[in-house]
Amino acid sequence: MLHLLKIDLKKLTSYRTFWVVCGLYFITLGFTTASGMEFLKWLANKSVEFGATININRIPLYHFPDIWQNVIFVSGFFKLILAFMVVISVTNEFTYRTIRQNIIDGMSRTEFLLSKMLTNVLLSLLSCAMLLIIILITGFIYSPEIIWSEIFTDAGFMFAYFLEMFSFLSYTLMLGLLIQRSGLTIVVLCLSHMLEAIIKANIDDVTPGLIPFFPMESITNLVEMPFARYAFQEIQDYVSLTSVAIALGWLVIFNYISYLKLKKSDL
Amino acid sequence: MATPVLTVKGLTKNFGKLCAVNQINLQVNQGEVFGMLGPNGSGKTTTLGMLMGVVNPTAGEFSWFGQPPTHHIRKKIGAVLEHPIFYPYLSGQKNLELNATIKQTDFNNIAKVLDIVELTARRNDAYKTYSLGMKQRLAIASALLNDPTVLILDEPTNGLDPMGIAEIRTIIKRIAADGKTIILASHLLDEVQKVCTHFAILRKGNLVHSGPVDDVGKGEEIVEVIAFHDDLPAHLNQFQGTKEVKKDGQFYLVKMNNGFHSAELNRFLFEKGIVVSHLATQKKSLEKQFLEILAENNTH
Repeated sequence: MLHLLKIDLKKLTSYRTFWVVCGLYFITLGFTTASGMEFLKWLANKSVEFGATININRIPLYHFPDIWQNVIFVSGFFKLILAFMVVISVTNEFTYRTIRQNIIDGMSRTEFLLSKMLTNVLLSLLSCAMLLIIILITGFIYSPEIIWSEIFTDAGFMFAYFLEMFSFLSYTLMLGLLIQRSGLTIVVLCLSHMLEAIIKANIDDVTPGLIPFFPMESITNLVEMPFARYAFQEIQDYVSLTSVAIALGWLVIFNYISYLKLKKSDL
Repeated sequence: MATPVLTVKGLTKNFGKLCAVNQINLQVNQGEVFGMLGPNGSGKTTTLGMLMGVVNPTAGEFSWFGQPPTHHIRKKIGAVLEHPIFYPYLSGQKNLELNATIKQTDFNNIAKVLDIVELTARRNDAYKTYSLGMKQRLAIASALLNDPTVLILDEPTNGLDPMGIAEIRTIIKRIAADGKTIILASHLLDEVQKVCTHFAILRKGNLVHSGPVDDVGKGEEIVEVIAFHDDLPAHLNQFQGTKEVKKDGQFYLVKMNNGFHSAELNRFLFEKGIVVSHLATQKKSLEKQFLEILAENNTH
């Protein structure tokens, strides 16, 4: 297994685009998630009304355990950047026809897919590690008092985040393998949410029960929007097992379609 | 007898309605330099693609070293299909390191194969900066990486200048001298005749001929004759070994019956009192044979 990961990393680590895209991803992810309080301060200064009515220090944005869901929810928006890297990595193999040479040189088609999947796992884990560091640092800075038993109570969102990243990257990998052209793949990837929204809007009146089963929907449902709780509304502040089960289902389906596509095609 | 390196039985590939490869049977033995000939689009690359696992056969089967094909076996075969394929942004060295990782072989071989193809000086430059000849040579280096017992080369001299062609030919001959089995696809007949021991001809996906290169030129001879004698054609036709006489420029071309040679024709003419000023046996080239075989199959 490690051998296959090594192969894919060897292709990427000497590729400048890889470092640029990943660098941009981790920098924007880091800055955005760590600067929530600075943003609120700016907002309070800018709009006198907002600053006068709300004491921003009373908003527990970075307080343990709220911080887990807050930071992880926001981080979800940035996964598209990382997905672009996956698109480039897989469609390059077709543009350069290196996938063909890899097979000729002695990789099996399954091994080729596994090597790409393992990179997806690694990128997802790196995102998790990055967030873990940011959450722990900002949490300790902004939490008014540290109650050790509360620090990790919501750490389960980390698992949901991993699943969110890995499912989405699996979806991206599948699109790349099916479409094989980087531009078109990126367009389809960006439109996925919108296309799904159109379909969902149309079946909402007929069978609303189906909606949670849509692929993009299931991935976003893993970590729900938490901020309404600061306006005294009920939110889902836990990871629901149903969402996990549906997202896991899609994860398997995406990768299985990739497998079938690779198995059947002439390269 | 030793197990053949490659056995192919009834291998077929259809792309939709088009039959690219039709029921091919082949056998390649240890140490042969096996040439696959055929016009462009005759199915050479598709056949090799199936043998190397990138094209799924529609029907038929093949075995390497008597075993069913797996990706493990492919690691022991060095192959370059069509044109060299590498990651353009990686250096020659890094590309070979990647292939060595895929083939699970030692990095120590890299210096050696780069030396064989004389790319050591440019090994740290990005592949995209290489000339076509250098790309072809890197491809051969990559195929040699695992010290394979079988080498598959598809048009290895395509697009090269005469010097490049000669270089690649020398490399192939050197490799063949090491006892390696080589399968060489080409439409350059001259090339195949110069390096191959066996050859097969494909035409529109059908295998139309297969045999040793040495057999080329056996069979009926054609003799060129020049003599200053008015009735030369009539005399030539009187010779019992003559099958056909044709005039071609300044020569008379005499197609001989099987078993007759130029020496007997010479004696016959001399006894008739005709002294020839030119008498030569035309060596039948692979090219001629190739065109004949293709022409024969055209009429069927």
